[in-house]
Amino acid sequence: MSALNMALKSLGRRKLRTALTVSGIVVGIAMTLVFLSLVAGMDIQAAQMVRAIGGADITVVNATRMTRQQFQQGIINTLDESLVTIIEGVNGVYDTSLQLSLRMFVNSTGVPINGIDPSTYSVVTGGLNVINGSSLSEGSEKEVVLGKIFADSLNATIGGNVIVSSAQQDGESYEIIGIYETGIALQDRGCYITLDEVQNMSNKENLITAILVKCVDPNEVPTIRETIASLLPDARIVSPSAAIQQVSNLLNTVRMFLFSIGLIALMAGGFGVINTMITSISERTREIGTLKAIGAKDQQILKIFMSEALLLGLIGGGVGVSIGIIFSILFPMFSGGLSGLTIPGIGGRLPGGGSGFPGGVSISPAILPSNILLCFSLGIVVGVLAGFYPAWRAARMRPVEALRHV
Amino acid sequence: MSETIVQTNKLVKKYRRGKIEIYALNGVDFEALRGEIVGVVGPSGSGKTTLLNMIGGLDKPTGGTVVVDGRDLTKLDAGELADFRLKKIGFIFQFYNLLPIYTALENVEVPLSFAKVPKEEREERAFELLRLVGLETRVDHKPDELSGGEQQRVAIARALANRPSIILADEPTGDLDSESAISLMKLIRKLKEQHNQTFINVTHDPLVVQECTKVYTIRDGRIQLNEKT
Ligand SMILES: Nc1ncnc2c1ncn2[C@@H]1O[C@H](COP(=O)(O)OP(=O)(O)OP(=O)(O)O)[C@@H](O)[C@H]1O
Ligand SMILES: [Mg+2]
Repeated sequence: MSALNMALKSLGRRKLRTALTVSGIVVGIAMTLVFLSLVAGMDIQAAQMVRAIGGADITVVNATRMTRQQFQQGIINTLDESLVTIIEGVNGVYDTSLQLSLRMFVNSTGVPINGIDPSTYSVVTGGLNVINGSSLSEGSEKEVVLGKIFADSLNATIGGNVIVSSAQQDGESYEIIGIYETGIALQDRGCYITLDEVQNMSNKENLITAILVKCVDPNEVPTIRETIASLLPDARIVSPSAAIQQVSNLLNTVRMFLFSIGLIALMAGGFGVINTMITSISERTREIGTLKAIGAKDQQILKIFMSEALLLGLIGGGVGVSIGIIFSILFPMFSGGLSGLTIPGIGGRLPGGGSGFPGGVSISPAILPSNILLCFSLGIVVGVLAGFYPAWRAARMRPVEALRHV
Repeated sequence: MSETIVQTNKLVKKYRRGKIEIYALNGVDFEALRGEIVGVVGPSGSGKTTLLNMIGGLDKPTGGTVVVDGRDLTKLDAGELADFRLKKIGFIFQFYNLLPIYTALENVEVPLSFAKVPKEEREERAFELLRLVGLETRVDHKPDELSGGEQQRVAIARALANRPSIILADEPTGDLDSESAISLMKLIRKLKEQHNQTFINVTHDPLVVQECTKVYTIRDGRIQLNEKT
């Protein structure tokens, strides 16, 4: 006999209408949740890339264009190590680290090998994300850290050995001391040994492919980047942190845009609720008059109809969230044929860690509990907001007029 | 001599329809004593329903006073009037006006729940009332599963729920066949005898008039007490 019980029975009496009204909210909620999950998925991908790229504020690489032939011959754009002194002279540069990334062979398989300087690598980039074992240290010699995917394909275990060879030199045995994971497939198919070892094996003494730079103040990155660019006109200078900032700004814009679309759909659902409630209230005018004659106060009538609106919102939110979750899970199947979405600006353009990224990164939506909660509450909010005006009208009806209504 | 329970004094109710003013009630003096069954007759549009609405606190008069059970209704605000209707008045309508979503029992429980009677007591009392009107076997039926006479009995049980001192009925037999009408009036007489409640019946039905202790006639908003016949 409570207002909620009364509301439940009234809604149950007009099942089709209730279902249609609820479906308006459901569409809005489901859409909003799918959109938010998509953007959350992109966020996670972006975060993985940040980890993959490493924390270097600025990466300097050779900008000379290569022909396809050169590329296929394995010719690599290198820089001279000595350039680093120019960069270290720039105001605001905290530290630098050198890296030489090449294609070499591990157990006769061609893989990207990154040579790094363990004494500075961690300071400049924050280090590798080692999930098993340990990373390279200053004294490392004939030690290798494998990417997870590569390690899995070799069935490699910590303490085991692999043979590393190059076109120029015969293989040598390296001990596996650690396994890292970035979440980016191409990165996780590579491995890391020391810079000296890569330079020796490839006969590229004093040559590098990238200078990684860490700045004292992250806010100064754009300025320092400009300075380096003017000092080294032939170098390509990438600042992942700036790019990441851009991507994150872009994602925020995308999020706001999609969220707005979701909200507009929800608003349409809200108008559906208003419409249904006004119809139902006008149909039940005599009922309302009767309740008032019996002794119901305005506030009690308001409660009855607000409960109906709340229920519509609750059901709409619940069903909408469920459908949103289902669609988010199924999304990769729909988008599979399109090879997924890509994050503009990141795919293949950030060679910070040495190797490039694949051109397209497929997005799988991430269903976050916070988004589920948000969408569910939105359903309730829409129901309550939309229900308020009709319920208020019902509560304000004058009993005599309401009873005269036929 | 029984005490006066309803008294109106020079009661006026004016409606405005566009530019035209209609005097639905035009100086009505009406009196009912506790335990009376009062009849109000008159042609359509004469102001019968309007008078009931004034006595029941459903609407405010334009002029004059209405005193019911010692309370001057013109001095009560909307919330107090709702409370007054809940505790002191029972309404019975021509078309029963039961809530279609509820069973007979639940319909009788509605005014009890507005009065915040706890659930168990509510059910017990609603069942008692349905037994009183002879519907104890019909408690779980919805209105559309009941005959007109049965629905009107449920409506009476609902009107009695909060033990009001006055029951206002607008054409209570208007939609009933004569057999149901007779048994309804028998029920009303029994209730009056048991609980000394006051009934005011607006009616066209001679069967109802016959049961009344006194009868008023309204014509064009003016009232007149019929000579005893
Ligand atoms: N809310 C209103 N607005 C305008 N006019 C009204 C209103 N209520 C009643 N009236 C008018 O007041 C007059 C009396 O109406 P009332 O309903 O009291 O008549 P009644 O005697 O009950 O008639 P009936 O036997 O047909 O029910 C009528 O002319 C009616 O049209
Ligand atoms: Mg009438």
